[in-house]
Amino acid sequence: MGTPRRWIFALVGLAAVAALVLKPGLPASVTQDTRSVYDLIESLDSGAVVMISFDHEASSLPEVGPLGAAIVDHCFRRGIGIIGLALFSEGTAAGYELLGRRASVFGRSYGSGWIYLGFRPQYTSAILGMGENIGDVFNLDYEGHAVTATALGSRVHSYNDIALVVSVADGSMPTYWVEYAQARYQVKIVAALTSVMVTSYLPYYESKQLAGIVAGLRGAAEYEQLLGHPAAGCRGMDAQSAIHALIAILIIAGNVQGWRIRRSRGHGEA
Amino acid sequence: MRDRLAIITASVAGVFMTVQYFLTAPAANTAYRTILSWMQVVFAFALVVGVIGVLRLNIERLGKRRSGWFYSAALVAGVAAMTILGFVGGTDRGTPFQWVFDHWQAPMQSTVFSLLAFYVASAAYRGFRARSGESTVLVIAALIVLLGRVPVGEWLSPVLPRTADWILNVPALAAKRAILIGVGLGMIATSLKVIAGLERTYLGGR
Repeated sequence: MGTPRRWIFALVGLAAVAALVLKPGLPASVTQDTRSVYDLIESLDSGAVVMISFDHEASSLPEVGPLGAAIVDHCFRRGIGIIGLALFSEGTAAGYELLGRRASVFGRSYGSGWIYLGFRPQYTSAILGMGENIGDVFNLDYEGHAVTATALGSRVHSYNDIALVVSVADGSMPTYWVEYAQARYQVKIVAALTSVMVTSYLPYYESKQLAGIVAGLRGAAEYEQLLGHPAAGCRGMDAQSAIHALIAILIIAGNVQGWRIRRSRGHGEA
Repeated sequence: MRDRLAIITASVAGVFMTVQYFLTAPAANTAYRTILSWMQVVFAFALVVGVIGVLRLNIERLGKRRSGWFYSAALVAGVAAMTILGFVGGTDRGTPFQWVFDHWQAPMQSTVFSLLAFYVASAAYRGFRARSGESTVLVIAALIVLLGRVPVGEWLSPVLPRTADWILNVPALAAKRAILIGVGLGMIATSLKVIAGLERTYLGGR
């Protein structure tokens, strides 16, 4: 048991850096979950409006950032309008920055191609309120314009005018979207999650309350492959593969060592 | 009297929000939308109260130089700086507010989050032991999911991702669904107790 913790830390650091530098680029097949989200967005009409809610903290940006970017890219590429918002205060700046950055790449202008509503506290009432009238909850957008004065904002009144809601989340927010927006207003919800949250949302996906799930860096990498444009998700998968493999080796090594210690104690007692 | 007023308010609001779900009358819809707006206003004030509470606590710790006072100083400075930057320069792209968020807050929080990988690796080596039949199943399942969810697992064997998906979609899903149903029933029971005035812990444990 004498392996110092600092050696394990050093191994983890080395594995991550080596994977990022050497870029082994192991291929990953696209799972059905990710493909179904891609197909869902692909099936939307050009000119449809998708609402993307950035319901995450800044800490999970390395994981959900590439995922959000891939979905935003897909929407912009297909000419789908995006209404961005945040029900987590920390997601506000991250979502606005991401949408602005990707919009400039695709030449989508603010007001007609996308708008950003900003943050509203009390997510339950915000989600329910937008089912009645989005303007009741957000009368001004993040930039201070009247929402209804923008070309995109004037086209949407409630969820009836929204083809899909995507919750980019690292916590329980997609549950509230399901309970209050899908159950009551029948709007389609897609959850773009951190990997660790997948098992929490599979029951909602299996019961068709969620229209799709795409999760973690793996989901981002798969989505980037479907878009034919490898980016941060694909780059991150090398490091994630290396760390997962290292942790598996450490679990096996720890168990072998534990077994040897138990065996030597057994021999000593005999 | 104060408690009774709170209990009556909770009961009336609970009954109304339940009943209005089934009503189509315009008056019910107007009342529903009004309550939703009120909820936002009340919560916005609760946020202000929360921020003031955190600031008071930390300013007091800072003033009395209690243990960890420098953390309090960082918190107070952070709140003050972001408030000033937000009000003075705005929060649009390219503003100092957004710059601090992008280049300070997000990297710092991501760094702290990333440290989990180091601690998970250390804990997995030291504590994740197959000491019994149940823990052996857990260790094997963890190894399969750990490797099956990344490309290296696919590279090792195509069976690994399929088995990992089965573990997530069958036993893990069944357990999670059972937990969710239990949580749902618990929420209904607690809500009914609040509406009936039997559950009063939200009044401060009295």
